[in-house]
Amino acid sequence: MKRIIALAITLVFLVITGCSDYLDVKPQGIVGDKELSTPENIDGFVISAYAQLANDHYTIPNLLWPYGDLRAGDAYKGGDGPADISTFHAFEIFSTIQPDMSAYAPSVLGDINNKKWERQFVGISRTNLALSRLKDVSAEAYPLKNSREGELRFLRGHYYFDLKILYNRIPWFDETASVSDIENTSNVKYTSQEVWDRIAADFRRAAELLPATQNDKGRPNKFTAKAYLAKVLLYQAYEQDDNYNVVNINTGKLQEVVTLVDEVTASGNFSLASDFAENFLFEFENGPEAVWSIQRSHLDGTTIGNLDFSAMLSGPMSNEYGCCWFHIPSQNMVNAFKTGENGLPLFDSFNEADLTAEDYVDPRLNHTVAMPGKPYKYEPALVYTVEDWTRRPDIYGNYSSLKENVSPDCECFERIAPFMSSSKNTNLIRYSDVLLWKAEALIELGQLDQAREIINQVRARAAASTGYLYDENGVSLANYKVEGYSSFPDKEYARKALRWERRLEFAEEGIRFFDLVRWGIAKETLDAYFSTEKTKRTYLVDAQFEKGKHEYLPIPQQQIILSKGLYIQNNKY
Amino acid sequence: MKEMISLKFRLFIPAFLLMACLLSFTAKAQFTVSGTVYDGSDNSTLPGASIVLKSTNTGTITGPDGKFRLEIPAQKSVLVVSYLGFEPKEVEITKSISLSISLTQSVNELEALVVTGYTTEKKKDLTGSVAVVDINQTRNLPAGNIIKNIQGRVPGVFVTTDGSPGSGARISIRGNSSLNNNDPLFVIDGVPTKSGMHELNPNDIESVQVLKDAASASIYGSRAANGVIVITTRSSKNENPRVELSSSLSFQRYTTKLDPLTAEERGRMYWQAAVNDRLSPANPIYTYEWNGDFNNPILGSVSYPEFIDPDKTMRAADTRWFDEISRPSLQQSHNISVSKGGENSRSLFSAGWHNNNGIIKETNFSRYNVRFNSSFDLLNDKVTIGENFTISYQNEVLINSYDVLVTSLIQQPIVPVHTVDGGWGGPAPGMTDRQNPVRLIEDNKQNRYQYSRPFGNVYLQIVPVKNLSFKTSFGVDYSLYYARTLQKSYTSGFLVEDDNTISNNVSLRGNYIWTNTANYKITAGKHNIDLLGGIEQIKYKEEWFNASRQGLVSEDLNFGYLSSGSKNQMNAGGGRINALMSYFAKANYSLKDIYLLSMTVRRDGSSRFGKNNRYGNFPSISAGWRISEENFIKNNVSFPLYIKLRAGWGLNGNQEINDLAIYNIYQAVYSKEDPIWDNPTQTYRPNLGTAYDIMGIDQGQLPSGYIYSQIANDDLKWESTAQTNLGIDFTILEDFSGSVDYFIKKSSDILYFRTLLSAVGEANKQMVNGGDIENRGIEVMLNYHKTWHGFTFDLSGNLATLKNTVIDIPDELLINAPLSPLIPNEAKTELDRSVMIGRSVNSIYGYVVDGIFQNPEEVAAHAAQPGKAVGRLRYKDLNGDNVIDEKDQDFIGTVDPKLTYGANLYAEYKGFDLTLYVQGISGISVYNGYKTYTDFSSLWPGTNWGSRILDAWSPTNTDSDIPMVTLLDRNNEGRLSTYFIESGSYCKLRNIIVGYRLPASTIAKLNLTKARIYVQGQNLITLKSKSFTGVDPENPNYAFPIPAIYTLGIDITF
Repeated sequence: MKRIIALAITLVFLVITGCSDYLDVKPQGIVGDKELSTPENIDGFVISAYAQLANDHYTIPNLLWPYGDLRAGDAYKGGDGPADISTFHAFEIFSTIQPDMSAYAPSVLGDINNKKWERQFVGISRTNLALSRLKDVSAEAYPLKNSREGELRFLRGHYYFDLKILYNRIPWFDETASVSDIENTSNVKYTSQEVWDRIAADFRRAAELLPATQNDKGRPNKFTAKAYLAKVLLYQAYEQDDNYNVVNINTGKLQEVVTLVDEVTASGNFSLASDFAENFLFEFENGPEAVWSIQRSHLDGTTIGNLDFSAMLSGPMSNEYGCCWFHIPSQNMVNAFKTGENGLPLFDSFNEADLTAEDYVDPRLNHTVAMPGKPYKYEPALVYTVEDWTRRPDIYGNYSSLKENVSPDCECFERIAPFMSSSKNTNLIRYSDVLLWKAEALIELGQLDQAREIINQVRARAAASTGYLYDENGVSLANYKVEGYSSFPDKEYARKALRWERRLEFAEEGIRFFDLVRWGIAKETLDAYFSTEKTKRTYLVDAQFEKGKHEYLPIPQQQIILSKGLYIQNNKY
Repeated sequence: MKEMISLKFRLFIPAFLLMACLLSFTAKAQFTVSGTVYDGSDNSTLPGASIVLKSTNTGTITGPDGKFRLEIPAQKSVLVVSYLGFEPKEVEITKSISLSISLTQSVNELEALVVTGYTTEKKKDLTGSVAVVDINQTRNLPAGNIIKNIQGRVPGVFVTTDGSPGSGARISIRGNSSLNNNDPLFVIDGVPTKSGMHELNPNDIESVQVLKDAASASIYGSRAANGVIVITTRSSKNENPRVELSSSLSFQRYTTKLDPLTAEERGRMYWQAAVNDRLSPANPIYTYEWNGDFNNPILGSVSYPEFIDPDKTMRAADTRWFDEISRPSLQQSHNISVSKGGENSRSLFSAGWHNNNGIIKETNFSRYNVRFNSSFDLLNDKVTIGENFTISYQNEVLINSYDVLVTSLIQQPIVPVHTVDGGWGGPAPGMTDRQNPVRLIEDNKQNRYQYSRPFGNVYLQIVPVKNLSFKTSFGVDYSLYYARTLQKSYTSGFLVEDDNTISNNVSLRGNYIWTNTANYKITAGKHNIDLLGGIEQIKYKEEWFNASRQGLVSEDLNFGYLSSGSKNQMNAGGGRINALMSYFAKANYSLKDIYLLSMTVRRDGSSRFGKNNRYGNFPSISAGWRISEENFIKNNVSFPLYIKLRAGWGLNGNQEINDLAIYNIYQAVYSKEDPIWDNPTQTYRPNLGTAYDIMGIDQGQLPSGYIYSQIANDDLKWESTAQTNLGIDFTILEDFSGSVDYFIKKSSDILYFRTLLSAVGEANKQMVNGGDIENRGIEVMLNYHKTWHGFTFDLSGNLATLKNTVIDIPDELLINAPLSPLIPNEAKTELDRSVMIGRSVNSIYGYVVDGIFQNPEEVAAHAAQPGKAVGRLRYKDLNGDNVIDEKDQDFIGTVDPKLTYGANLYAEYKGFDLTLYVQGISGISVYNGYKTYTDFSSLWPGTNWGSRILDAWSPTNTDSDIPMVTLLDRNNEGRLSTYFIESGSYCKLRNIIVGYRLPASTIAKLNLTKARIYVQGQNLITLKSKSFTGVDPENPNYAFPIPAIYTLGIDITF
């Protein structure tokens, strides 16, 4: 009996102390799905899609200098020697690029090739998320619906564009794809041309939906979309075979490029800045030439500001900056700025001797390259020297990159020891780029004179851009001599002139390598570059560009593994 | 050795009942014996010792003063005097007499009570694998953390630690069974916690027991997969108030020091590296006079300017940075406890202060502890009410010792500590962008965190009828962290911070634990049944916020409050909640005291899991056979022999995952997290921001949005670990005892982050279950005890083996291997299923170095290896495809120690005692990250390098295995390879203690009960493998160096 009582007491005791809903605790600090489909919150998803533009990291920059300049013979990696971010060193010499770069020093950074791939898809997923949310509201409830859809398609096109030129074979899907659809989409589901078509379609639709002007400087308008569409079509026009040879140039697409650029010009939205320098000065950001740029900011309530992370490693070593001297202009590129008595580039002899103070040069050189004895970033009192401003001159020479950097006196300048950067915007497309796309298309279409006019327009602006280029004594920094072309004798010459012009105009802006691949001349250009540059920079002795392979980066090994064989690796990797 | 036996107090209640019981049986007295029972080791009295007339029920127990009085029949009798933990003694009585009986401590601890889940059992009745830490052996060690002191003392318990004053220690029991949290569960006075033990005062601890196998731990269910450490704090046991004082003072110094180059050597090696590369040695600092012939370079002289910076403020120096940041230091601990026990109440009060100045300058940790434990018996002992409560307060200087240590190694010696005008020296152009370590110390020494942790429980126990008891216990474990830190502005070489910042970081977190248990004992003839049932509820909450401002006019911490800042107001905050609800039951059955059976089951629910799988069941069963009690042995063995065979199986769980793991997560991330370093070590990678300057206005509040960062998983469930344990306990001839255990522990449904294809976007991580990991090993513990002519001798040793194997992992799981925290992140590789199965999760994967290329012929003959050259490392072409690439990697080491061991010798003679303790591990690989600095000039060209580089390969020094110095790492020699993998085996003389106990006559004169002084030395000798080129294989990378410690201490009781 006693035992039964004991048991009963025990049971009662146990039951009263337990309660069933004890485990239903509310999750803290996250929002519910349903609350987010209001116009204000959808606007939030749109902003978030933009924010990825400014979410780059110095090892994964959205200005493509490691991918576009280091691989093109325009810049050395710089820094503390080859081991300082050795994945970038691999980009520079090609021979050590491999699908898994996670062990490359310093490996604390992880596989930054994989991270680049990942970050592009973060941007794509943010735009897709916002696009699918947009379907939850009507245009009546949300008058900006069309414009926002246009902006999102533009952004998606942009994120895919960079992914395409970096990796070539990429998985493409839109906002209707579920997680399992995405996990079952191969990178070779669509051909290269089919992917281009899809990227172009987004910009085409964006151009239809977007208004002709936007109040917010960071949002693309109809003509920004048309300009980007022109860029896509220009890339697509050069049709490649499996070994990345250009096997056909599609004139229909080139014709459309010309039409689109004409529409952009006719809109009156954009023009060339009066001085080349203004494209690279904080005071003039969002100026007339800025077609598409990343809006950077500081003192904005974020931890360190939405600073220009793309430029964070590029500062020189003087006390005003201190770190990290990456992205160093190559001797070959500096020599390319030499001009002859006629004010034209020295196409054949430019690299026979290194630039001297006596040579005639294009003024864009001193906007682009910091050189010993000359003022840094238009500050006459701030003189760049080898001793105090360089880091490893014995390895990487004496120069430094200027365009992305700012004066230490700029209100946009921020130190984040040991790094520094600024809130200056990052140019992604300048109007001169748009004009030269048209010139390029015209040349391929055989309309050489029209093309020449455009090139001369760009050169004339360059020639006029000497207003900032004086030292403390008011003496010009170099012997400047730039003239327009009086004629293009043939298509080959015109091509040479266009291609040279692009090199000088966009030097150190992360563009050149993609031009070379588009034109199908990466192999020959780099072979020529290495053969001479190796003798000046011994670390390049291992450099070797393999045709049909190094035009694109490998699909990151981690993605191949995660896809369980669905993804196909790029050629020869 | 008196305190060694746990829980004398716990004996007191049953003993008291026994006395009451026995007294009623007392027969007509014929004569009276009286006497006092002493502890033979220190002549203190033993209250509660039992005195029984042999072969009768007649008996008594000693009172609080150790005295007893017993009436016995007037005939020749034998009294059996026993006390838990002491050898029973038989005393022959022939006449009325006053006896003085001295008992010696028993090595045979079979009768000792062991705290297992929610109850206690005698060691002889245990069927699981439970190790009892001999707290007495660690009593005099000055460490601030009890976990540090048990390093090497329990087989299967692996402790890793560093030398920081805050006494960090990490513990793992029987290997890594999870990919997440491998920390054990701690249960302190019945209150479970996962929090660190360094807040506990080691002096308050009465006993530590480790529940290693599932049979003993599964009563703790979902949190027990990594083992359980049960800690009981002290209580009182004596009638008269007793005061115990203990004090120790320790001197610490570093014995392990790296040897970086001097300013002159650094300059010379730079020249050598440059000319090896056929580069003109153009160094911003050094200038060289040399013959200019790359084919036969000869260095004339190295010179450097008076000042190394353009502003001429930094005079060239030859700074020994490690000497600048380190110091010999003092550590001290002082404790007092006052206790009193009686028939119906017991109470203990203790207070302690521990202060530790680290061997890195200005580092300091200080801790204050107060404890009050008490209990009261009411209503004829039918009700007991009590509490255990402690509060600890600690503060520590916030100096990042990792940064200080690394920069002290790599900052160039030519950099002065200070500029000529008293400012900070720092890197000059061309040098690495790292801070002056002295500045890191001086600019942060005013910053401390404060941390306070109230911890304890109140309980009520009711015994309504005989053999039935109910207990309810309500425990709290809260902590408050507060830090106010001032980051000063500075100029240190080219490193400049113009803004100062004042920050506050506050968090309040913790949980309450409500436990209700019922216990019922049935004894029927040869059958003994012990039943336990219970319910436990735990709710954890945490809230935190940070705030900061910049622009303080004064950099004095007395001024530095948030309101003093004038610009850049920033803040952030968050919180989390989780809950656990558990039901459990246990049944122990013993037949004839020979056959033992134990079963437990626990049902745990956790808010961390989806509704579909919220509850998990964790059963266990174990059996013991005291084979030596069987007649077939008893009748055939003439000497004392005790053997018990044990076998058990059980299931434990793991639920240590993020509280939000089951949810879809949409969140606003105004400011991107960790923007500078983009740290990939976090399981949740840092979130990217959602704010953007869409209007192009450059400053001010930005519009912001949301991200979708995680995909929900409603099916998420427990990770479970099944463990089988086979064991044997034995005692032979009462002197020699030991135990051997063999276990197989297999974790299934392992919780891990599934990495989805990156194409999925931001929400490409999801917590899921899958995969199996197995650990198996053997654990041996041996003790030998002898008393001989007043000489007491006690030798104990243990060893354990462990093998970890991945049985299966899902396709999409990439293991960031090795998992071990011993290996710095940069040496970890992501490995997938194809290579991990059959390996340890702690495997290291990389290239194999096959010597140095000696001549051009060797270079030409080797596979295509970009950057290969004479003097460079040759990597093995493992797959034979004549190309060295990522496919030429293999498993090159394991971070699990194959064998861990410890041995303790204790000897005592006439008040003198000596302890020697040796501990070691072997069969372990370590990644020696220092080698990237000590052996290479190319991996960190702007830093200082180690002196090993002076012996690098050269055409005239071809025997060296250090590659030729170069500035250009063309050969990618920083890649993870066997070059950096070294043997981490070591054997350390951890302690020597020499103590002297004042004789009874002296202490009586001083009116004391006990007094002892001792000297102690810690970490005195280290034996290490020849292949290890670093300084301390226990601490191979950038951790706080473990110092040698010399202590003088005194313990007084009165």
